[in-house]
Amino acid sequence: MKVIKIDKSQWSQTLEKIRGAYRLFGPVKEKTFHNFTELSDGQSPDLAFQNTRLSPKSLVFPQSEVMLNYSLDEADADHHVPKEAPKDYSPRAVIGIRPCDAKALALVKMNFDTDQYKDPYWLNLYNATTFVGLACDAPCGTCFCTTAGCGPFSEEGLDVLLVDQNDHYVAKALTDKGTQLLQKTGSKETTAAAIETAKIAAEAKITAKIETDNLRGADMMALYKAGLWEDISFACLNCGTCTFSCPTCWCFDIQDEVYRKKGVRMRNWDSCMFPIFSVHTTGHNPRDSKLSRVRQRFMHKLKYFVDKYDKGIMCVGCGRCVRQCPVNIDIRKVSALMNQLGSEARCAVKGS
Amino acid sequence: MSTYTDKIREIAQRLLKECRVEMVIGFRQGSMPMMNEPCFVRKPEEVDRLVWDSNCGINLANYLTNRKEKIGIVAKGCDSRNIVTHILENKVKREQLVIIGVPCQGMIDKRKIAASIQGEILAVSETGGQIKVKSAGGEKSFNKNEVLQQNCSVCVHRNPVIHDEMVAAPVAEQTDVDQYADVNAIEAMSTEERWEFFEKLLAPCIRCYACRNACPLCYCPTCFVDESKPQWVGKSQDPMDVRTFHFLRAFHCAGRCTDCGACERACPVGINMRLLTKKLNKDCLELYGWQAGLNLDSRPALDVYKANDPEDFIH
Amino acid sequence: MKNLLVTMGIDPDRLHFSWISSAESTKFVKVVNEITAKVKAIGPNQRFVKKEAKVA
Repeated sequence: MKVIKIDKSQWSQTLEKIRGAYRLFGPVKEKTFHNFTELSDGQSPDLAFQNTRLSPKSLVFPQSEVMLNYSLDEADADHHVPKEAPKDYSPRAVIGIRPCDAKALALVKMNFDTDQYKDPYWLNLYNATTFVGLACDAPCGTCFCTTAGCGPFSEEGLDVLLVDQNDHYVAKALTDKGTQLLQKTGSKETTAAAIETAKIAAEAKITAKIETDNLRGADMMALYKAGLWEDISFACLNCGTCTFSCPTCWCFDIQDEVYRKKGVRMRNWDSCMFPIFSVHTTGHNPRDSKLSRVRQRFMHKLKYFVDKYDKGIMCVGCGRCVRQCPVNIDIRKVSALMNQLGSEARCAVKGS
Repeated sequence: MSTYTDKIREIAQRLLKECRVEMVIGFRQGSMPMMNEPCFVRKPEEVDRLVWDSNCGINLANYLTNRKEKIGIVAKGCDSRNIVTHILENKVKREQLVIIGVPCQGMIDKRKIAASIQGEILAVSETGGQIKVKSAGGEKSFNKNEVLQQNCSVCVHRNPVIHDEMVAAPVAEQTDVDQYADVNAIEAMSTEERWEFFEKLLAPCIRCYACRNACPLCYCPTCFVDESKPQWVGKSQDPMDVRTFHFLRAFHCAGRCTDCGACERACPVGINMRLLTKKLNKDCLELYGWQAGLNLDSRPALDVYKANDPEDFIH
Repeated sequence: MKNLLVTMGIDPDRLHFSWISSAESTKFVKVVNEITAKVKAIGPNQRFVKKEAKVA
């Protein structure tokens, strides 16, 4: 695959060449944090960031997204017929997504793109987007990607990997989409040799870990019924901070809103932490306690997903939930407890 | 501060050993700098996990709602005022509680510190009134008073108003603070400016409801934003729905809020929604001479009628 | 409530409280006329009004 070198002095000109064919999105500093947003003409992404406060999942999965429009005005010929909401699915490029967030997209894709069901809204945006990743050479102390099936130079989910080499970037195409984007730049080709050295150095900087090796073999019901959940869940406020900041959380809720005779059907992010997440129309709520909701979140990420797909945990180690939880519930601690119990549960099964 | 920790452990151990309580609610050391985690202890031999420092800003009264056990609870000034409110609102019974009072000298604002530090914060320690911050960019010291949460810097009820045990002698209350400078500044704006101000303030909101859920007052079985029959508020990111949520939530706290700052502290995007509740606190103080949760004997402002209640708003 | 609405940027002339007995018909007319005049003077309200959801 194509590898090119972009001098930093040529960076904004290179972006302009790409902009000719793509709508650009990238990290921008807002007060003290970075977040992903659409870049206006001439605006460059601010790549001097560790990671954004919110994950870039909203670029393909907006927090609130209109799906269908309809008219309730009987004078209209097609009243009461929901119509696909018009959207702009022209080519887009996300510049500067971190490898962890890109790997998260690959995990989310397992949910939105299956043989049985294809989510048109997510897939249309995803397919229209070329993901240009920025390799991470200064990870946060709370990053644990290397033990979460990912890494600071992980390529999964990316179309291009961009590596900062002080006065220039090395850009390596990883997919055909990526090659097409790099062709727009007209920059000269180079070799990928520098990437390997930088990768080893970056991986060595990640010291935080998540323990998961016993989860696959653990007895699900033993984990579910374990006594540890009361202690883990006690502090939880049942807010949506962890799920909303998580790049791998994909749950949404569908709502209709009607204004006079015009209606929209939209979807909004939902959170398994919210008490109404699982309320049935009868009023019955199968997860009506804080403990059951917290357990659901961790069991889904660290056990059910692991068992269902056999592709590791549903977590990429970005550390956002660890940094942002108002009461400091730490997935690394929870996973360690589950993992320890998993080991005991497995041994017990073997022994019996 | 370590003496507070020792004393809390000593009291907790005694209460548990003597079976005066079934659990003690306090804080344990967090896994991140400037973060502690609310926790409970049920066994006397486990009290060593309890800690106290300037990172205990979450309001523990929130963890009492509808509990039935006998509970020992660690409470700083604002927590104790919310415990009073909880008792008055029948969310917990006085007889259930052994209140371990902590005279408070304010909690530190991790965002304030992060904003004046280059790079990631690796460790934070506290000695006397000094906060030492170790970051990727080196070490820096702060005077604790400069990095307090804003509500703590203007707090006039640092000592618990109700307690069964005290971990230390009361601290001096602040008297020379301008409690409502921020509200006054908003009141001085024009109508247009105020609308714009709140538009900007609330723009980053992601409706995670951390503010609501961290608030000990927000214990409704179904919050109005979660209600669907009828649906009072839209559930999307529409700015008017976001604004309606914050406006109505604040109003539900009228005459009940103790300005503990848990809402602002919990917010993952750093919104100071306290400006709304503080306006109501100021009105309650000016119109009815009322401050929430100071004692068990008086009924809340919105709960009583007095012949001399101001009625200038009625034409 | 009026104070908080005003704080958030609602024109104080839009919200009125009045105490009128069922026997005070003339007062009722007077108050309604006053309020109507005030609200007409400031024009239609654009705030806390949602014409449709502004979302993606």
